[in-house]
Amino acid sequence: MAKNIKISIRNLYKIFGPTPDVALEHVRKGMGKADLLEQQRHVLGLRDINVDMKDGEITVIMGLSGSGKSTLIRHLNRLIDPTAGEIRVDDEDIMNYTGEQLRKLRRERMSMVFQKFALLPHKTVLENAGMAKDIRGYTTADFEADARKWLARVGLEGNEYQYPHQLSGGMQQRVGIARALVSDAPIMLMDEAFSALDPLIRSDMQDLLLELQEELQKTIVFITHDLDEALKLADHLVILKDGEVVQQGDPQEILLNPGDPYIVDFISDINRARVLRVRSVMSQPDDGDTDFAGDIAENDNLESVLLKSEGDMALNFRVVRDGEHIGTLHMKDLARALVPTAASAERNKNAA
Amino acid sequence: MATYDSLFSSLGLEQWCSEGKSTGPMSMADLLNKTKGESAEPASIWELPFPSMDALNESCAAFPQSRELTKGLEQGFLAIKDSLSLVLDPLTQPLSWFLDGALYAMLNTPWWIVIPLLLAVVYLVTKSWKLMLFVGGSIVLLAFIDHYDYAMQTLAIIFVCAFLCVLLGVPIGIAMARSNSLQRMIIPVLDMLQTLPPFVYLIPLIFLFSVTESKLYGIAIILYAIVPVIRLTNLGIRLVDKDVIEAADAFGMTPRQKLYKVQIPLALPNIMAGVNQTIMMSLAMVVIASLVSAPGLGVLVLRGIRNLELGVGLVSGLGIVILAVILDRVTKASLARINVSQKQ
Repeated sequence: MAKNIKISIRNLYKIFGPTPDVALEHVRKGMGKADLLEQQRHVLGLRDINVDMKDGEITVIMGLSGSGKSTLIRHLNRLIDPTAGEIRVDDEDIMNYTGEQLRKLRRERMSMVFQKFALLPHKTVLENAGMAKDIRGYTTADFEADARKWLARVGLEGNEYQYPHQLSGGMQQRVGIARALVSDAPIMLMDEAFSALDPLIRSDMQDLLLELQEELQKTIVFITHDLDEALKLADHLVILKDGEVVQQGDPQEILLNPGDPYIVDFISDINRARVLRVRSVMSQPDDGDTDFAGDIAENDNLESVLLKSEGDMALNFRVVRDGEHIGTLHMKDLARALVPTAASAERNKNAA
Repeated sequence: MATYDSLFSSLGLEQWCSEGKSTGPMSMADLLNKTKGESAEPASIWELPFPSMDALNESCAAFPQSRELTKGLEQGFLAIKDSLSLVLDPLTQPLSWFLDGALYAMLNTPWWIVIPLLLAVVYLVTKSWKLMLFVGGSIVLLAFIDHYDYAMQTLAIIFVCAFLCVLLGVPIGIAMARSNSLQRMIIPVLDMLQTLPPFVYLIPLIFLFSVTESKLYGIAIILYAIVPVIRLTNLGIRLVDKDVIEAADAFGMTPRQKLYKVQIPLALPNIMAGVNQTIMMSLAMVVIASLVSAPGLGVLVLRGIRNLELGVGLVSGLGIVILAVILDRVTKASLARINVSQKQ
């Protein structure tokens, strides 16, 4: 089932400086980021970005600092206006929106979670969670039940009347997520939402987000600089470098077929067995009489299969979805998939 | 023969010089010169006078003297004075009413109502028994040495002026925080108000308003004391966490919502620090303003200076110190309460 495209970005450019239009011409003619800064004194923020974000999916935009990912997410609700290009939400070009329409978009169709939480320090947790509703003119009594429900859902039952400064970082970000959920917006923008948290809490929060997403099916745009986080959350992964998209697609696909040395570098350190899933390496179901050592699910990661096989590379597993046999996993293929990409690139070079 | 004669002759202006006669009033130096006779030619380059207005006037009678500058300023001011006070008089009339009303209320309410009322206010804003007792003790002490009326007059003036400073200063500060060009325009004015010796701006006020009107000293106090509350409101709003402002934008707040729900509450500690400073500066000015008939402890200080009554001056000076300590502690304590609820 093809999902609808919720947000679509077309030919987006952003240049920072006093006369971006002049600089844009140079960029369109192919001037690079370093040259632009040196010769034109303009900073290239984003160059020719084209991304489609599908309804109900988590789109992760990943890049190192300075790659333009935070700039990009701020274009989606026009906290930053582009130099050129089109941003379509629900098939409407939001660049044509009036101030009032834009405000309505921000109030009702988009919510945002921030790296530094950005809660109101003089309001209680409950009032912070209901901020979006408060802005729309509801009273505390109107949104209290809703706010309590979502606060409980993110694990903050009993903290409703505390102030943000009385909570830990992880708890504050839970308030940030509850605030986004209470707004009932179908799109959730998350700007490095978990980057300020320590690793253990970060992992908890990622699980919480996936759990909520299972239930709510929102369109989430998630910014991160952490590849493990990106691979864990992404349905669609966009990798940015120096304001340009280097590669985008299914994260499994990117992992198995990195299209750029930059990405090869990036993914060389990760635990492939934990990230790769059965569906990415399985083959078509054979009709022949293969011996199956057991049944596995398509979304199991390879680590769990390795555990099941106890390291025996001769085995085959049957991949099952809802009791139906949809594929076969040969342990040989699994082993091949685990070969680090840098090495495989090396091997290809030798073969050529 | 004066030093710069040759200058004018080389410019061909001798005709013009001999025609006119500078009309500046005669200075003491001129008089002395007249009695001594012609001024001597400068002996050497070491005594070359700076080509100032007065020096040039010596060579050319038509050239204006510098005394004419100040005189011109004065005449200019006197010329616009009537139309200026026609506008300013009704505009500032409420200030007189407020001040007279506050003074009347303070002095005609019996002390056994005023003192408990003041203490109740102190407790309400600070929630501190200790501070309330201190304030009570101080006022009783002042009353016991028969300075109660003077102290209450001073307090009444400060209350009215500080209240008006906040009423005017906070909106100005907010407007400044929103517009960089407005900030660039207002900051020099604030700098001037803050550095101009306080006596200086009493002078034009005396010309504009009658000394019997209380708004005369009211305006002087407000002009002097409004600066910190404007500055700190501007600063406080500019210092509000950019991330929180961004969140407010991202959730679709209107500029008005942003101001009332985010900027003012988050800037409140700074604004209150400004209010504290404003109150302290009103107190400083109310003493000076006794020169232009402001009642209160300042009158006693003035009497002490004028008649060299050492005791009167010292005791009333001490009374002012006590008032200052009271006002400072009370506003600081309420500021601290705001800060606690705002901790990030």
